[in-house]
Amino acid sequence: MRNNKIKHSILGTVGDALIWIFLIGTAALILMPLLFMFTSSIMPSKDIFKMPYPWITSEFKWQNYWTAIRGPDGDFMYLRNIFNSFFVSSVVSFTTVILSALTGYGLAKFPFKGRTVVFLLIMSTMMIPFEAIMIPMYMVVINMGLQDTYPGLILPFLTNAFGIFMMRQYLITFPDEILDAARIDGASEPKIFWRVILPNAGPAIATLAILTFRTQWDNLLWPLLIAQTDKMKTIPLYITRFTAETHTDEGAMMAIAAIASIPMFILFFSLSKYFVSGASLTSGSKG
Amino acid sequence: MARHRKFGMEHNKAKWGIIFILPSLIFFAVFSFYPIINAFYLSFHRKDLLSLRAPKFIGFDNYTYLFGSSNFWNSVLSTTFFTLGTFIPLLVFSLILAAFIMSRKRFQKFFQMAFYSPAVLSSVVAAVIWLLVFDPRGLGNQMLNTLFNSPGVDHKWLATDTMLRLSTIIVYFWKYIGYFTIIFIAGISSIPKQLHEAAYIDGANIWQGFWRVTFPLLKPTVLLVSVMSMIQCLKTFSTQYLFTVSGTPSKPINVITLNIYNTAIRDHRIGRASAMSVLLFIIMLFFTGMQIKGSKSDDVTYM
Amino acid sequence: MKQCFLFLIIVVLLVTSSFAANVEIVYWTHTDTARTELENRYIEEFEAMYPNVTIKRVYNEASKMGDLILTAFSGNVGPDIFNLQTEQLFSYIVNGRVSPVDPKALGVKNVEEYVAQYSKGTFQPVTYDGEIYGVPLELTNWCIFINKRLFREGGLNPETDYPKTWEEMMEVSEKLTQRNGEIITRRAFDFRYPYYLVSMLPMVQQLGGDIISPDGKEAIYNEEAWLKVLTYFRDWGIHGKNLGNPTYTNARKTWNKDNGDMIMCLSGLYQEGRLKTDNPEFYDSGEWMVVPFPVFEDAVNDLGAASYGHFWMVNAQSSKTKQEWAWKFLDYMRGHAEEFLEYVYLVQPIKTLVESDLFKNMPYSNVFLEDLEKSNSVYINENGKMIEEKIGIAVQAVMLSGTDPADALEQLKKDVQEILDDSY
Repeated sequence: MRNNKIKHSILGTVGDALIWIFLIGTAALILMPLLFMFTSSIMPSKDIFKMPYPWITSEFKWQNYWTAIRGPDGDFMYLRNIFNSFFVSSVVSFTTVILSALTGYGLAKFPFKGRTVVFLLIMSTMMIPFEAIMIPMYMVVINMGLQDTYPGLILPFLTNAFGIFMMRQYLITFPDEILDAARIDGASEPKIFWRVILPNAGPAIATLAILTFRTQWDNLLWPLLIAQTDKMKTIPLYITRFTAETHTDEGAMMAIAAIASIPMFILFFSLSKYFVSGASLTSGSKG
Repeated sequence: MARHRKFGMEHNKAKWGIIFILPSLIFFAVFSFYPIINAFYLSFHRKDLLSLRAPKFIGFDNYTYLFGSSNFWNSVLSTTFFTLGTFIPLLVFSLILAAFIMSRKRFQKFFQMAFYSPAVLSSVVAAVIWLLVFDPRGLGNQMLNTLFNSPGVDHKWLATDTMLRLSTIIVYFWKYIGYFTIIFIAGISSIPKQLHEAAYIDGANIWQGFWRVTFPLLKPTVLLVSVMSMIQCLKTFSTQYLFTVSGTPSKPINVITLNIYNTAIRDHRIGRASAMSVLLFIIMLFFTGMQIKGSKSDDVTYM
Repeated sequence: MKQCFLFLIIVVLLVTSSFAANVEIVYWTHTDTARTELENRYIEEFEAMYPNVTIKRVYNEASKMGDLILTAFSGNVGPDIFNLQTEQLFSYIVNGRVSPVDPKALGVKNVEEYVAQYSKGTFQPVTYDGEIYGVPLELTNWCIFINKRLFREGGLNPETDYPKTWEEMMEVSEKLTQRNGEIITRRAFDFRYPYYLVSMLPMVQQLGGDIISPDGKEAIYNEEAWLKVLTYFRDWGIHGKNLGNPTYTNARKTWNKDNGDMIMCLSGLYQEGRLKTDNPEFYDSGEWMVVPFPVFEDAVNDLGAASYGHFWMVNAQSSKTKQEWAWKFLDYMRGHAEEFLEYVYLVQPIKTLVESDLFKNMPYSNVFLEDLEKSNSVYINENGKMIEEKIGIAVQAVMLSGTDPADALEQLKKDVQEILDDSY
């Protein structure tokens, strides 16, 4: 018995160390490109392709950030683009939360004929790749006269199947007794939604809001088609424009990438518990 | 009297249920169902995006063309290669990483955040960074050459077919590994400790504990991660688009979504692009259905 | 009598008020800092001359213009004026989306007078069914730009040793290329991927081949010529002498930096303008020169790179009034051709401009002009972009994937034939 324990602990220690090495090594590999982005954003472009790569540059070029914000035409359009991204992502986040909660609530707590069919129908929309419906969707928005406008950027993303799924899963476990008690007290259904459901779905709502914000922040194709003038463009479009035109100013390119990433990093680190718990809300395994 | 009231209440509930879901349904009708039906309709027609003439009905011609087109099958191959090459490593590694992280007593949060951080970046930023890393003079070659002590070797990240495909897989893997690791961590942490302790008392070691207790109970999570990552991979677009627009070869990474985009926008052939979209949609439904069916056979509970 | 008079007054008022009604012209073009400044000034001046007209200028980067204009037109909300590269224009003409030129609005008596103002062959890419559809914004052809200092560093004399044939280009590049193992750290020269119709097809044509047979029915004419060119690219790429390939940074953009990465590049007269803004010291140092597009040793046709350009076109779906004002504005802009040349280095091929001192005094303009005179216009086809993409696939296959040139050619022939047969 004792021998077994010793063998177990030696193997255990070696295995343990290996696991640490694996974890730390993988983490380093994953973080490396991010480090690359930040270090190269403050060095002159010619250093970026030096072999070997000078992780700590001798010539700091903070000017890259200025060039990035100033833009190829010197009109500081990047600031406007950053605002656009924030605005559009926030509005989409907000509408998605409200509509998903509403729909998820309806699907979770209100049995009606055909409810399963509706649920499956909505879920199936997750399998439609955006490129497939991009042109007809473009026509719809054009016919509404909304090209190059904020509504045009926002409308196709008012809600999505993932959000509805998430809210439904979460609300299914909401105690019926509380709802019935509120009804007995004479509250109307809409009131129950606003006063009982929403306030108590805090974690799910916060997570959905953040995930939606992040997805919308990343949206490239739709703004490409709809935002025709510079003033309406979002960050990804600015980046592609900048890289296309000043392709050889890699330092400035990395500065732009860094600027585009910093808001998301701040959001991420300060609200990391919601990112983590968001994953758990969809994991589906019963605890 | 009571039965009457109950019936009334159910009727009332049904009514409210429909009211609550109506806004979303209208939205989906306009922005999801209409476009996909439109795409379905167009797939049976011939239409040049620039032409002022009405679409011309040609029956299944677009589909027969696609089934006989080496370009389309190349896309299917590229998508398959990418999907299998990405979602399998994603599934396996995220499970391993989750298990390892959970076996540590400290730094759990640090590792989760470290692995998740690439997911926070936009795909454009990721593409810009990795294109520089994969440049022949970039970090990709430098790191491999230091590791294998092979100075000056160009691993042709963006040049040869296989390496280019591998490069897109690496970018995608990098972006999503953290996300799926966290899902597994949530799954693992929801398994009650008593089960593990019971197993250890019975004489199981750590590995047996994992295989016999943790893994079977994670089946629902494995299924979820599997389906989600597969769908994500089948829908992949930005990485391949941004790479090809920056000058990499297109054929090896001409996934179906990119082919749809180019056929519509560059070649103006909206009918054919719509047919491809319908095919992709069917492929996705099929694989999702198969996965769900395949897992229903062995449901494990700890009741 | 009085009623007649009243009626006349009302008619006159109506007519003049329709002239006075506000017209907004939407003009889409691609980004170019110098040209944006110039054109904004013209817009101000034009609007001052005609207060009832406003012009909204929208710009996007050149590579996206094709996509954006296509989607706008497909939704019938295209701009009133736009410009695209010649290879992309033809579908718009063939599908009737743009209008033929309006001679009166352009200040000439008739179309013949208009054509006569420009160099011979200018309008070939925008002529269809006997009508002419555009106003030239620029006409360009590419020659070789050489960085003299780097050339000398490699031990060669730029004035005498510059490559005149493609064979010499490969020899010179082998001498001048520097590498770290397999990784190229200094390229001698590299091609303008992905513009194969402009730079690669002429190489085939030099050897007597073409993309399409003279009767227009068969794809890939003279396979031997094609094979020779594809083999040349194979030798250039990673499975050959490793002199460059599409995965390295774009040559003409790197060349401006004068930082040792790129010795020669392929570009047009406008490159000089970009150089002046990007790197004035390099521009002023005179340590650069331009030489003609190389020709194969045993070439059958002495051809330069294909000439291409940008044309301004007017949307056929815009109202008659808007179209008229559009042509008027284009006439105003084309009247300032010297400023386009002086500030943006763009050549509108107007006869008087090409023969002017301003043009003659542009560095090496004579090299461009001589090459232009022996160049073909770029190959125009409704499906031009698709064909170019297929050529690109063939070149990438031999350069990067190690495909045998004969196999790549066979695939290319099949693909292009399919495009030719598949008329929509």
